[in-house]
Amino acid sequence: MMFVVETHDLGYRAGSDFEIAQLNMHVPAGAVYGFLGPNGAGKTTTIRLLLGLLRPAKGAITVLGQPMPQASVSVLARTGYVPERPHLYPTLTVAEAIDLHAAFHARWDKPWASELVSRFDLPPARRISALSKGETGKLMMLLALAQRPELLVLDEPTDGLDPVVRRDVLEAVLDYVSAHSATVLISSHLVHELERICDWIGVMDQGRMIAELPMQEFKAGIKRIRVTAAPRDAGNAPFTLLARASLNGSGEEWLVRGWEPAMRAFFDTAGASVREVVDLDLEEGFVELLRSFRSPLPRT
Amino acid sequence: MFRAITRTQWKSSRGLVLLATILAFAIPIASFRTATDVRAQGGLFLGAIASWSVAYSVAAAGIGLSLAMIAWSPDHRGRHVYALTLPVARWRYVLMRLGAGALFIAAPVAALLVSAEVVAHSSSIPIGLQAFPIALTIRFTIAALVAYALFFAITAATARTAGIIITIIAVFCAATYLAAAADVHTTFFERTIEWIFATPGLLSVFTGRWMLIDA
Repeated sequence: MMFVVETHDLGYRAGSDFEIAQLNMHVPAGAVYGFLGPNGAGKTTTIRLLLGLLRPAKGAITVLGQPMPQASVSVLARTGYVPERPHLYPTLTVAEAIDLHAAFHARWDKPWASELVSRFDLPPARRISALSKGETGKLMMLLALAQRPELLVLDEPTDGLDPVVRRDVLEAVLDYVSAHSATVLISSHLVHELERICDWIGVMDQGRMIAELPMQEFKAGIKRIRVTAAPRDAGNAPFTLLARASLNGSGEEWLVRGWEPAMRAFFDTAGASVREVVDLDLEEGFVELLRSFRSPLPRT
Repeated sequence: MFRAITRTQWKSSRGLVLLATILAFAIPIASFRTATDVRAQGGLFLGAIASWSVAYSVAAAGIGLSLAMIAWSPDHRGRHVYALTLPVARWRYVLMRLGAGALFIAAPVAALLVSAEVVAHSSSIPIGLQAFPIALTIRFTIAALVAYALFFAITAATARTAGIIITIIAVFCAATYLAAAADVHTTFFERTIEWIFATPGLLSVFTGRWMLIDA
């Protein structure tokens, strides 16, 4: 598999409280990779390291086949970036910001930029400081898309936007990806949003990558299983037990990863029976994964 | 790219450039006018011209300082994220920002030259004295560029670093003043000041007499 973004044992320390340690990340070519994690997990710092805005203390980063931050000029020419916070010059108008950005990008698509101005309903003569949050978000997305990037890095691109704007922005991203086979790395708190558009996910917590796998595998593999007469010892289970909790005397609820239907046999041989297998959506899976990472011992 | 950066920078600097241009145009004419009035009242023409020296150096320093601060202010506001994600080498971006601001110094310099030339061609210059509009303009240009480059470098740093540098300068000035007030004799302050301001010191261009008209 070809990876557009790859890190190997990446390390970075910011002050005494926060550290990214041994981060191994792999974003496959052509994937829409959802980068999940709670606040302060290190997602934005990781993105900044990937783009050469910060220098790693340890490890190696490869983006679009080139080492970072050494090749940052050529990598940034092929990468569209929407940062977490608006970073554009507030005294410029929308048209001036577009002209400025275009001057730095050789592959700038002027007709498409004009089309996006109309599609996003952006007022070209309005100052950036006078734009609404939604308009600013759309402008930043326009700038990232019209440079025809091979990689789009979106750090909370829809944070604080209303549902209509969010839909417009994500539709534009998906249109672009389907037309140009670009790779997208998108970080967001809106897990349901990522569930809809991503085919890979990476989950980060406390500066570490705790899971990285295809979306389907993640969703299919994490299940909530209600068991009666549950065995005490799950050490030889064919799946990973993430958590277990008592159901008021009527059995136990197990949260497992890597579940397959044939694994019911494990319970049968232990004298237990599976009452119900519940599918988890991405948000539930994400929350449970974080919980099990933070308290690795099964809850009884 | 340079044109785009210049256009952006012009937008935030144009008000200041206009003010600086008016100021630079006004100083030579005002100094000549003052000197002519002083002479009519029986005073020294050259003494009056010399008293305006400080106005030229302060104007040059002020223009350089303000343009340097404005050059970086949009990037500081966005924490440099936009600039750092542009596909251009950092040294090249800094040079473009530096160059754009330096370009704007041309407007007050041109205004000073025109104004000084107007004075130089006036028939009211006392016999035996002559005007030096080109020399004055060159000196003003160098002073403005030195101030601009110096403050550009300081303001390019983080707010913390800039604060430390400014604090050191302020502490030095205060210590010099207090030492003089307390009648403490030390050669340290004198030597430091001489090292900075006496030829060929970094800021020597700002000192001495800035004479538009001289013997």
